[in-house]
Amino acid sequence: MRLTRRQALAGAATGALGAAGVYELVDRLAGSPTRRRAVSRVEPLPAEQHVLGGVAVVEDEGVEVLVPPLHHQIVTARVTAGTSPKALRAARAELEHVLAGLDRSFPATPAGLGMVVAWGPPYFERYVPKPAGRHLPVDRRASGDEGRPVSALLDAVRFPSDPRDVALEENDLAVHLRSDSSDHVAAAAKAIFGGALDGILKATSIRKGFVGGGFGARSSLPKQMAMAAGVPGASLIPDTAQLFLGFTSTQKAALGPPRIVNLETLGLVDLREGYFRHGTTMHVSHIFEDLEAWYLNFDFRERVDTAFRPGQPARPGSQTLRQAAKDVATEASVETAYRRDGAIGHSAAIQTASRLRADHVAEDGTVYRKGTAIPQRVDFNTLDNPFFWSDDPKRDSLSPAPAAGLHFVVLHPTSDDFRRARLAMDGVLPDGTRLRFPPRARGQGFNSVLRATHRQNFLVPPRRHRSFPLAELL
Amino acid sequence: MAVKRVAAIGLLLAAVAASGCSGDRAAQPAAKAASAPVCKPAQLKGWRALARRIHAPVYCPAWMPDPLDGVIGSRWNNINAVSPDRSYLESWVWQETGPGAAGGELHVNLRAYPGVTKIPTCEDTQVVNGVVRHPKIPCFADPNGRHRAGSIVATEYTVNQGADQWHVLYAWRKGGSLYTISEHVAPPLDYAKVVRNLDRMLRSLVLVRP
Repeated sequence: MRLTRRQALAGAATGALGAAGVYELVDRLAGSPTRRRAVSRVEPLPAEQHVLGGVAVVEDEGVEVLVPPLHHQIVTARVTAGTSPKALRAARAELEHVLAGLDRSFPATPAGLGMVVAWGPPYFERYVPKPAGRHLPVDRRASGDEGRPVSALLDAVRFPSDPRDVALEENDLAVHLRSDSSDHVAAAAKAIFGGALDGILKATSIRKGFVGGGFGARSSLPKQMAMAAGVPGASLIPDTAQLFLGFTSTQKAALGPPRIVNLETLGLVDLREGYFRHGTTMHVSHIFEDLEAWYLNFDFRERVDTAFRPGQPARPGSQTLRQAAKDVATEASVETAYRRDGAIGHSAAIQTASRLRADHVAEDGTVYRKGTAIPQRVDFNTLDNPFFWSDDPKRDSLSPAPAAGLHFVVLHPTSDDFRRARLAMDGVLPDGTRLRFPPRARGQGFNSVLRATHRQNFLVPPRRHRSFPLAELL
Repeated sequence: MAVKRVAAIGLLLAAVAASGCSGDRAAQPAAKAASAPVCKPAQLKGWRALARRIHAPVYCPAWMPDPLDGVIGSRWNNINAVSPDRSYLESWVWQETGPGAAGGELHVNLRAYPGVTKIPTCEDTQVVNGVVRHPKIPCFADPNGRHRAGSIVATEYTVNQGADQWHVLYAWRKGGSLYTISEHVAPPLDYAKVVRNLDRMLRSLVLVRP
């Protein structure tokens, strides 16, 4: 759908070039998501918060691709309920009451509402330190490497390619909402942070965005949204690209199956007494994307080489490339490419840490084959700069001018598992190999056009403990 | 590859040193209405001399973004180079340092490759494990649509090398030769503004025969 001049002006003007109004354009640009209704069914709620039912799978360029919900919003917050056990238990009941109401209103599908309430290290340290000491899962692999117990939930760290000023955040919690309906996302955000829970939670930031279709040669959201917002380089984005950088990221084979990221699935974690069984961990970061640098400084072949791997087969203009288990890179192949070309592919490097190295049988009997992807990306493009709203604009360097970026949201079985994958992206491979690059070198691919601004890790409890986890044990 | 960028920056700095920063506002606005573009005598003089020197037609830009003037030999014309194969590079640069709107850079290149219509080959520079390599790559890559102006049908290239690195470049063929015009994407310009400038420059081109 084309924007009329009036619509474009309204979107750009409402909220000073992109803040409040521009995301309303997603509905107008994307049209009615009728395809969702065909595949959405009301199912019993899974034990996991992070499992979303009814996600459509389409074939694009001969590759199976998951179609994520269009609208996304993250609200970070701090707890204001006080520290007394009584207050925290009351807060737990009140928040759960609101969340349960949302569960009744919307099925956990793209047509309904995906909702994850995740808790950061500050919550466990400030409010429930004693039960946290007993129940927080321990990362067996990281503990073995460190020679001491390492929690499955870690504070975020700066990575070698991060700017020095990347903010390591200390929010108590984050709520990730996603749906094909902006009304559902808005309703949920309002129910949780719109006043009913004043005195319990206080929002610290609001982050909005979209992921965008484009399959079957249809025009996708990222380019249209970027054009409407007047972001530099917007017209260089391919018309049908799922994300600003021009490639599809939700290949089915590149995303972990729904429960592989559960704390208990891969045996990486000592669940202690099992309180957090069916939970997972989540990393949230904001990343600016320099579209002009990407599209004017890297030709298509280089973009494929650096986004995937040097020499990855791709027809000219291709956007959805195979990421099957049999295509998975190894430390040896990544190092060979580095020695030969001075470059590593973004996906190839990460695959050394993000794919199963052997078949694995989970405790529920599910067999996960060698090469299966572990992380579940649930990230989304944004025009936030860097956030839609912040309770401390100076701290977060908030600007009303729209900027192309990504709210990177990913689920891993442990924070350390994310750390390993992210380090691999910087050329620090799981076997200890270090492929050295100058900061933001072109050979590192994506890294040279990305600039992270904020990072934080969270624990996603199982649905039964999503509200003020462990508070009932105080 | 980083070397290329360093080289390009060096080129610009040299141009600034040679040109100074005060504004010469002599350049004329674009082609007046729909009438055929006309190059001023000061512009034509240099382009005619160039056409005679390479024994091939050249294109004189009647309009360039202010303060660039399209006059060969002017204070903004930092490169006036003809190779033994008769190909040439004419470059105009303006740069002013300063924060925000006070600073910026304009850089326009015009090239021609007489008797050649193939996209030329450039030498990349890569340092791999301390070894410097120079693989051959196309000087203009990633075609991104066409732009028409009169009889010219130009192909837009978004990834370019050498003096055209970080430029958007239009290339077209005429009489068995390849011609290009490009502009650097750098503040105060973004990609969209550069394309608007290039479209306007394309419409302003005047063919000058030897």
